[in-house]
Amino acid sequence: MKLIKKQIPLAIVLVFGTLTLLTYFVPHKRSVNFLETMNKWENIVAAFAFFLGLINLFYSHYTKISRKADGWGYSIFVYIGFLAIAIPAYVSHGKNMDGSVLTWMGWAFKYIYNPLSATMFAVLAFYIVSTAYKSFRIRSLQAFVLFAAAMFLILGNVPLGQMIWDKLFGWTSYAISDIVDWIMHVPAIAGKRGIMIGIAIGVVVTALKIIFGIERQYLGKD
Amino acid sequence: MLKEKLNALLRIDRRWIFLGLTVVLFGAIMRPLGLINKEISKDTRNAYDFMEKLPAGSFVILSLDYDPSTAPELNPQAVAVARHAFRKNLRVGVVTYAAGATGLIEQLFAVVPAEFKKEYGRDYIIFPYQPSAVAALTQMASDLYGIYDKDKDGKDAKSMPVMLGVKNYKNISLVVCIAGTQMPTYWVQYAGDKYGVPVMAGVTAISQPGYGPYLQKKQLKGLLGGMKGAAEYEHLIDTPGKGTSGIDALSLAHVMVVGLIIVSNIAMVILKYL
Repeated sequence: MKLIKKQIPLAIVLVFGTLTLLTYFVPHKRSVNFLETMNKWENIVAAFAFFLGLINLFYSHYTKISRKADGWGYSIFVYIGFLAIAIPAYVSHGKNMDGSVLTWMGWAFKYIYNPLSATMFAVLAFYIVSTAYKSFRIRSLQAFVLFAAAMFLILGNVPLGQMIWDKLFGWTSYAISDIVDWIMHVPAIAGKRGIMIGIAIGVVVTALKIIFGIERQYLGKD
Repeated sequence: MLKEKLNALLRIDRRWIFLGLTVVLFGAIMRPLGLINKEISKDTRNAYDFMEKLPAGSFVILSLDYDPSTAPELNPQAVAVARHAFRKNLRVGVVTYAAGATGLIEQLFAVVPAEFKKEYGRDYIIFPYQPSAVAALTQMASDLYGIYDKDKDGKDAKSMPVMLGVKNYKNISLVVCIAGTQMPTYWVQYAGDKYGVPVMAGVTAISQPGYGPYLQKKQLKGLLGGMKGAAEYEHLIDTPGKGTSGIDALSLAHVMVVGLIIVSNIAMVILKYL
């Protein structure tokens, strides 16, 4: 059992992880062919991962409904939403348009998925505005720096902000776009680059730990 | 008395703020102010200039990786870039790694190519959605048809006139990735840095600062940021669209945020010294 659950998966990860890593540095025909095969496998596995995710989603919401857990009524909409898109997709053979005419799937996408998804994201704007009012208090120097940077970026990013800046501070020799450019290209990039380098080193270390079997959480508990 | 009023102001029910924002946005959408975006950002200008300099017939990949949640910001960018490409008589290949983007792509390409009398299969092609972006991007380095042998309708892609002479990254003049995801980073890492394919991107305003390092090192040739980026690009191609019309609502909402932050902090300072 240990052989199937631990040793074989670890060997697969070691062999294929190392070989795939090497293809990056070996521009040989065989290396390219191997990588092409791996790409096809990856795409197939990724598609199966969607299917697995779907089963998991259905199962967890089924459990919620059957136990009448808090908010179980919302779980019903998971199934309704799925059917509202999946049935038209099946009927339309996965096509959104038939020439210039919307198919059933195209209709469901345009008039169900599109507005629902856009609404969910749009609601964020309302929470951001109310949170900015209720929580953004300048109580320290750091908060003031954050506030000043945010003000410049907000004003510099829209025409009305640019007009307000020109009216109030037009007498200075600085355009708001110059200040925004400086913020974006000096402190923002310095911070972002530091984060990116840190993440990249973390990814390399984690990948090596997985390839060499030091990190084994993906194998599960037993 | 003043203290109580200021405290009440700071504790205002957030639904009043929601209502205020609704009125501001609704008003701006129904009766646009016609604010003109005077300044074109350097990154948008660079993106426009790069595409403008491509010779007619060059093959360009449009990677449209956004779903309806970010479409208000990103769809105007995609429309503007597609218009520019067709106006320049470039050949366009559309790919996506966001499942929710397929419907938006079909709706966009049902309209824009017709404006320029462009024909499917001859001037542009739409490839099917692929679940693994990294696998697709790596594969395209050696043989694009290893992963995109068929178009979205299952027709043979290689035999279409639009794909003439296109085999891998060496034959691709530009990649434009418009995404609400991390896709521009993947394009830079797997196509731009490794194979020298020029990459430019269009992203949401909130994720725009994150791409600064790539712009500074020219790993991205240009960047459109949010609705403002779309409005700027529309201005450059001289075809106003939804980016231009949406900029009024964006302006007022931004100024409202600034106003609210200032008001709340002034109230806090007054309360402190009362």
